Amino acid sequence: MGTKDYIGGGIFIALGVFIWSMTLQFPALEGGHPGPSLFPRVLATLFIFFGAMVVFHGWKSRRIKEETPAEEEFPLNKFNPILVIILIAAFIALANKLGFIFTGAGILFILMMKLRVSFFKSSIVSILLVCFVYFMFAKILRVPLPIGLLGW
Amino acid sequence: MDFVFQGLALLLAPKTFLVICICSVYGLFVGSVPGLSATLAASLLIPFTFFMDPVPALVSIVTMSAMAIFAGDIPAALVRIPGTPSSAAYTQDSFALTQQGKAEMVLGVDVVFSVIGGLMGAVVLMSSAPLLAEVAMNFSSFEYFWLAALGLSATVMVSRGSQVKGALAMVLGLFLSTIGVDITLGYPRFTFGNVDLLNGISFIPAMIGVFGISEVMRNVMEKEMSFAIARVQAGKIFQGTGKLLVRYKVNVLRSGLIGTFIGILPGAGADIAAWLAYAVSKRSSKEPEKYGTGSIEAIIDAGTANNSCLAGDWVPALVFGIPGDSITAIVIGVLFMKGLRPGPMIFEQQPQIIYAVYLSFIVANLLMLPFGYLAVKTSSQMLRVPKNILIPAILMFAITGAFAINNSVFDVGVLGLMGIVGYFMEANGYPVAPIVLGLVLGPILEQNFMTSMIKSEWDLTLFFMRPISAILGIVTIIVWLFPFLATFLEKTKRNKSS
Repeated sequence: MGTKDYIGGGIFIALGVFIWSMTLQFPALEGGHPGPSLFPRVLATLFIFFGAMVVFHGWKSRRIKEETPAEEEFPLNKFNPILVIILIAAFIALANKLGFIFTGAGILFILMMKLRVSFFKSSIVSILLVCFVYFMFAKILRVPLPIGLLGW
Repeated sequence: MDFVFQGLALLLAPKTFLVICICSVYGLFVGSVPGLSATLAASLLIPFTFFMDPVPALVSIVTMSAMAIFAGDIPAALVRIPGTPSSAAYTQDSFALTQQGKAEMVLGVDVVFSVIGGLMGAVVLMSSAPLLAEVAMNFSSFEYFWLAALGLSATVMVSRGSQVKGALAMVLGLFLSTIGVDITLGYPRFTFGNVDLLNGISFIPAMIGVFGISEVMRNVMEKEMSFAIARVQAGKIFQGTGKLLVRYKVNVLRSGLIGTFIGILPGAGADIAAWLAYAVSKRSSKEPEKYGTGSIEAIIDAGTANNSCLAGDWVPALVFGIPGDSITAIVIGVLFMKGLRPGPMIFEQQPQIIYAVYLSFIVANLLMLPFGYLAVKTSSQMLRVPKNILIPAILMFAITGAFAINNSVFDVGVLGLMGIVGYFMEANGYPVAPIVLGLVLGPILEQNFMTSMIKSEWDLTLFFMRPISAILGIVTIIVWLFPFLATFLEKTKRNKSS
């Protein structure tokens, strides 16, 4: 965890400093007492304090790690989590234009194909599933899901 | 007594009972699939509860979580993978007994003792919550501030892995709760001119992101998506459980109490209850050498504790509005969503809802006998549901659920962003449950702190002037100092021995 702790702790320290700097613009209460800035400042201080502790821990554990052999990692599909985020971003970008049915079915189809489901199965399941989700939310729960191209 | 009947009538209304049955099946399914947790199931349920009346909404979470915690035992026994973290403590014992040809006995014990544990927890909830609510009637902003601080501190104390990382996760949750218009001057904080952020980060998409999307991201990384499953003859599962109940009655009582007590502690959940009951059981057992190699006593103790913990978790949530674990953090969100403010007043203003919740624990646990039997009977089929189809389906439900709250793609963005945060934090050893607890408790903490400060004209000593406030304050400070004291004592001990 050595390097990861440096990065993680560093990010939290930076976040703490950023929050502090933002709070300088916040107004004060009558009598000069801190108002909207008080709680965020306490949190910013905690970010910096705990972030520094994580960095220190990373420094300590790195020294220990140098003496121990690296663990063997299991093979993992590291691209797939990124794909999940890309698909969520695609929903945000396309849902209002294409509509829920097309966007949802596309997302399901792409992810299933990537997870090695056969083409035929991916096509059938993604259509059935998106229709089921549409029926649940749009028809039963009356959520106005994006209409898009179908104009439903 | 009238409220009991009113609560029962609400609970047994056809619509509510249908919700109970559907959520039972849902909870059993999610709990049986390794990698999917009860918290994930609860977070995916929230968009549906948004459209329900308060009673079915709350009852759906009670039923689902009780069933999911039990169902986590099924893959633990059959494939040596706990379905939920609550079953991890006795997975090794369950699987060892399955390998010895005793899968039926293990699963029967899992069902029966989960039911007993759940019922014990319900009794404690029903007897202790109204008493505590009467005490809480005298609480002011000072006490509520300390309670929220204590709840958050306890969450960090019991979080898995590094406490410092747990603290950072909690602070992150608290920070996210500050986004939006502030409570003192109505000043927009950290909104960067974005109108969608003025009302703050929507709790539900954030929570589905942290638990749901991060879990989807983790699961899609796995190359192996199927399991080798042991065969079970469901017809025999209840054979001999009566004898075991008589033999281990003291264990059951002890573990039920341990589980409920852990549940009442803010921040500690069913997994911690199971581990603690397991440890106590091993220490007091006549056959401690069997633990880890197939001890039915271990399964009875830990299995009773994790289910009794569930009702215990609801005590601080209902009485003080302080979540007992991540599921009750979600419950508090649901209560607010339904216009109900958790706290002592809810016992006076909506007693029929509270009684319906009490009774739902009893109904859910009794239903666990037939539903549990069916779950065991269909366990091999449930474990065969291909994960490479299930995971995309969860992603679709998560996206749609996040969208449905405000009919806005902005919330889908929050979902994705929180998913990334949850995924990276877990990958680097940061627990994510404190983020949600921080997000829920942040407004309570800040509002009560600011109210107290303005009331006391910025005199901090008033936080220790009222007796209960002083006790809570001192306990909270002890919890803050505990890690430093423990390290100091350990060093002193080591120095002495060397």
